[in-house]
Amino acid sequence: MAAPNEDNLSSHSQLSSQFFGELLDSIIVDVASECHRIARLGLDRSLDDEEEELRLSAQARARVADPSSSGETTSKYVLDIFGQTHPPVANEIFECMNCGRSIMAGRFAPHLEKCMGKGRKARLKATRSSTAAQNRYSRGNPLSNHSPSSNSNSMSRLSNGTSHVAGYEYSNGTIEEP
Amino acid sequence: MRSSVKRPPTPDAEEEEQDREPTLQEIINIKLVESGEKERLKELLRERLVECGWKDEMKTLCRAFARKRGRNNVTVDDLVHVITPKGRASIPDSVKAELLQRIRSFLASTAL
Repeated sequence: MAAPNEDNLSSHSQLSSQFFGELLDSIIVDVASECHRIARLGLDRSLDDEEEELRLSAQARARVADPSSSGETTSKYVLDIFGQTHPPVANEIFECMNCGRSIMAGRFAPHLEKCMGKGRKARLKATRSSTAAQNRYSRGNPLSNHSPSSNSNSMSRLSNGTSHVAGYEYSNGTIEEP
Repeated sequence: MRSSVKRPPTPDAEEEEQDREPTLQEIINIKLVESGEKERLKELLRERLVECGWKDEMKTLCRAFARKRGRNNVTVDDLVHVITPKGRASIPDSVKAELLQRIRSFLASTAL
C-alpha cells in the first residue's frame, strides 16, 4: 500500500477525529449510566433532600403534637424502617400455655416467671402441686400418695435414665407395652 | 498484514455483510481493540476528563435534570441526550490534542 504521505495525513486526521468521537461517546454513555444509577437508587441525598426533609419534619411535628395516639407516651414514638410505629408495650393478647389465662404479649415474660417457677410464690405452688410434676421428677421412688400402682411400676422400669419427657408422657396414663 | 484482521462472518450474519469488504475504519477499529490500545486510550481519556472537572460538570447536569424531572422518571437515554451537546463542546483543547496525537501515532505505527 504505497499511498502518498499527504493523503495519509488527512485521512489519518479524519480517522483520528472519528475515533476520538467514538471514545468520547462511549465515556458519555458511561457517565450517563452512572448518574442514572445514582438517581434511581436514591444515592444522591441532595436529590430529594429538601422536599424529603420538609416532609419528614412536618410528619414528626404532627406526630408529636397529636395527643390521641395509642400507647403510653407520645414522645416514645420512633419509626422503624418501614415507617411503622409501635406502642412501647406489645399489646397482642393470647393464652398462656401453662396456666391458661389471657395474657398481654408485653407482660408475658414476667407472667411466665411467676407462672412457671422462678419467683417465690411459684416455687411454693410447685411443691404443693400436681401428680404430673412430682411423677416427672421422681427418680424411681414410687409415690404412694397419688399414683396408682400400675403407674409406679412403669415408672420404676423407665427411670433408668430415660428423659423427663418420656416420663411425663407415661405418667399421663398411656402405657405402651412392647 | 495479520490474518486475524479478515474475519470469517458470524454464522447468522445477513447476506450483505458477507459480500461487503470491511471498511478502513472497521479494520483500524479491530486493530485498536486487539492490541489493547483502544482500552488504554479510553482509560487515558477518562482520567483526563476527571482531572479537568469535566465529569463533575456532567454529573451536575444530570443531577439538575433528575431533580427537575423527578428521580424515578429519568432514563439513561434522557441523560445521554442531556450531556452530549455540552459534553462534546466542553472538552478542553489540551485533552483533545493529546488523545488525537496518540491515535495518530497508532495509525502511523500500524503502517497503513
